[in-house]
Amino acid sequence: MNVILLLHITVLFVFPPFLLGFIGKTKAFFAGRIGPPLLQPYFDLYKLMRKASVYSLTANWIFKAAPMVSTAAILAAGILMPIASLKPPVQFWGDIILFVYLFAFARFVIVLAALDTGSSFEGMGASREATFGCLSEITLFLNLTILALLSRSLSLSGIFPGGLSSSWSLVGPVLILVVVSLFLILLVENSRIPIDDPDTHLELTMIHEVMVLDHSGVDLAYIFYGKAVKLFIFGSMVVSLIFTFKTHNLWIDTFFFILEMIGLAVLIGIVESTMARLRLNKVPYLLFSALMFSIIGFIIILARTI
Amino acid sequence: MLSLLISLSILTISSLFILLFSQSRRISAYIFLWSLVTACGFGLVSAFGVLCQKAIVLPSMSMDLRVLGTIPLGEFYIGIDALSAFFLLLFFILSLAAGIYGYGYLREYAGKRNVGVHFALYHLLLIVITLVLVAKNAILFLMAWEIMTVAGYFLITFYNESEGVRKAGYIYLIATHVGVFCLTVMFLAMGAYAGSMNFDRMAATQYPLGLASLLFILAFLGFGVKAGFIPLHIWLPRAHPAAPVHISALLSGVVIKVGIYGLMRIIVIIKDFPLWCGVMLLIMAAISGVGGVLYALGQHEIKKLLAYHSIENIGIIALGLGIGMIGHAYHQDAVAFIGYTAALLHTFNHAVFKGLLFLSAGSVIRSTHSGDMEEMGGLFKVLPWAGHLFLIGSLSICGFPLFNGFISEWLVFRALLEGVFRLDVFGIIFSSMAIGALTLIGGLAALCFAKAFGVIFLGRNRTSEEQHYKEGDWLMHGPMILLAAICFWVGIFPASMVYGAFQGAQAITGVAVGLGLKEAIIDPLILATRVLLFGGIIFVALVFIRKMLTLEYPVRLTETWCCAYAHVTSRMQYTASSFARPILKIFRSILFFKVESNRLQEYFARETKLSSSLKDASEYFLLRPFFYFIKRISRKLKWIQSGHTQIYILYILFLLVILLIWKLH
Repeated sequence: MNVILLLHITVLFVFPPFLLGFIGKTKAFFAGRIGPPLLQPYFDLYKLMRKASVYSLTANWIFKAAPMVSTAAILAAGILMPIASLKPPVQFWGDIILFVYLFAFARFVIVLAALDTGSSFEGMGASREATFGCLSEITLFLNLTILALLSRSLSLSGIFPGGLSSSWSLVGPVLILVVVSLFLILLVENSRIPIDDPDTHLELTMIHEVMVLDHSGVDLAYIFYGKAVKLFIFGSMVVSLIFTFKTHNLWIDTFFFILEMIGLAVLIGIVESTMARLRLNKVPYLLFSALMFSIIGFIIILARTI
Repeated sequence: MLSLLISLSILTISSLFILLFSQSRRISAYIFLWSLVTACGFGLVSAFGVLCQKAIVLPSMSMDLRVLGTIPLGEFYIGIDALSAFFLLLFFILSLAAGIYGYGYLREYAGKRNVGVHFALYHLLLIVITLVLVAKNAILFLMAWEIMTVAGYFLITFYNESEGVRKAGYIYLIATHVGVFCLTVMFLAMGAYAGSMNFDRMAATQYPLGLASLLFILAFLGFGVKAGFIPLHIWLPRAHPAAPVHISALLSGVVIKVGIYGLMRIIVIIKDFPLWCGVMLLIMAAISGVGGVLYALGQHEIKKLLAYHSIENIGIIALGLGIGMIGHAYHQDAVAFIGYTAALLHTFNHAVFKGLLFLSAGSVIRSTHSGDMEEMGGLFKVLPWAGHLFLIGSLSICGFPLFNGFISEWLVFRALLEGVFRLDVFGIIFSSMAIGALTLIGGLAALCFAKAFGVIFLGRNRTSEEQHYKEGDWLMHGPMILLAAICFWVGIFPASMVYGAFQGAQAITGVAVGLGLKEAIIDPLILATRVLLFGGIIFVALVFIRKMLTLEYPVRLTETWCCAYAHVTSRMQYTASSFARPILKIFRSILFFKVESNRLQEYFARETKLSSSLKDASEYFLLRPFFYFIKRISRKLKWIQSGHTQIYILYILFLLVILLIWKLH
């Protein structure tokens, strides 16, 4: 039990920035460059931690607390998520609701922090993030409802490690729709390229990055780290849906899981390198198509149960 | 029961004394304050006494007081069962908080207005709401309901010199009387079928499904007007901003909940409804929830925004109620039980956090003398109490973990997900639609309160840099702190309130529920708080790391970085309308915007203006045409009302003759 707990926490806490490294490497490969080392995100975090923070005179304590609250909320959501065949430390009937709400909470405090600076750019980013967030939340929850219905469990640990292993042969098309839908949600929630460009330089086109313009030093490090963990959790959701086969050996499963996550990071990198960012007013269409995927999946399931 | 009677008599006697001494504001205010505190204390004792009993108190087992022949056509027959007790609990908590706050809030009007009459009416409202909640006779219920409506009207029109306030009160009066009409018809039909106007006799009767659905439609119209379901809600966003804030808090926290209580009482009495009644309630709830929050997003007036959020929360409550009725129709008692529990608990929670939000908004309005959010900003520094309390209210209403809103929204989700698991395809379709609606409501509510809190309290002040705002004193902070503490307490230790809601839900379903199901509901909530504890530990660790690092690398303070633009003014901040615009644009096809602008037609730009507002579609496309139609018809029938007394007497004579002929025949 303790080994499992420790391994779970370690993977959850330590691994996430690695994913960003792989995404960066893939993008560099497509651009014909060597790219930064795989450990670059860790170096970045270390660098930011050693910089002094600058605070706006307008800001209140909300601005300072928000990075910590949001990162803590994301990590708390992370301990509900099973990783590989590791049972999460806490599981209960209906934890999918808490899972979704924790992400919403994490977003809400960052939005408030952005408004706390009184800058119009950050207000703009906050408005966009909140808008897209509330549309992606409904799709996420609908997908989780489908998975709950298929695995007859209201708990993430009932859904993800083994609850769906038989579903692929029965309702494979539905699961494909859910995977596509969840992958789109992953891109939206983590501000990846077709929706938002994490490396862009013009504030007017940003969504997430513009919200944290005023954060610096350790606060920015927390926000980056929280984002990496969020990407990791969403990624592990997609990965555990696709690869349901488990050897039931702790170490082998975890090893394969990490390989699968790296594969996902490469996939995200490929998407980012081959696509251009969508115009802002096209983003809702992408969100609606993700929603449609999951609604169609739902209809197929209902049709089967008749 | 005894303590409730003591509470009622304290309120009655003191309201008379307040009227007597209304010229001397000091005495009347003191009588008001102390009688309020003692009466609410006794009331809470009686509510707790029923809720804390080991055995559940079913409607048939409550302690009753029955005085025959006291009311024409009915009797004075009251009793507290667990359902009444649950509503009494939230009612006394909120009326205590709102009353003390109102005492503090209205001090600046002392001498200028007759505050004494206002206080006496406040007590009258408390008396009649209590009577509505404990009445066991339909005639008594209707009489108390009617006085509640009228007392509410006088409380709303406190600022009666303003045209808008008078109009809002007028619309409230008309809307609620349309509701009373439906209720009277409903109770008379039920009484005629059951042969008695007492609720216990009515409940003992089996109603055929056709009659039950007809009664349900009447109940939905009658109670729905009070509760504020879309499209019956139009009085609500007008009356709330017109009233003084503590009255708005009471209206939103209790008076509209009495509509929910009525619906629940009808469910207790009639028990078996056809399936489509529950489905209809679920659909109306989803429409009210999503519609309410979308309209709220389009508002810039803080109290109007909160009023629309009341509609949204009524939608959430009714989602729980609807899935409960559907579960009952499918004979899935677990679904029904969780649904009713969720509805009850959200009723309680909404009363608490909406009361908190209205009262803290009142502190803002009191110091800024304006309700327009576009003129505010940066108030967190000058009004720290109001700011922090509003923040707690916002986090609760959005249903974020740690606060009470999460517990009840979790239960509503749980009921709907159980519906997905246990019902057939038809049930699954509607429960999953409700899940989608509830998720959308949650997301939009978070957006709306990010907007409200952000624009009012964060950033910089949009009107002037010099602010001389003064915060209220402890008479205003105290009630708010009480409500905020309840928000926290229910959010962190949910078990006790959930058990209270269990008692109420058992009174609705009428069957005792095994301990297994109760634990299956409570245990996950306790585990959820464990996850939050883990989050808290991480938070503390992060704070510690940050503290260490800032010791080494000290913090600098400077202006907000505005992308290298030097001359930043506070007018450049994102406004409430611009914040809400992207999401409203997505939903523009179902919303009704009114945009007025002068088009620029010449080469050189002149001064121009643009104004856009979100209009209530149900008012413009549904109710207005309907009332114009009625007006046209009544104009054609005007000749009947000639205005001569003699002719009216003639009408009566005709009627008597017709009745005589009918009887003889």
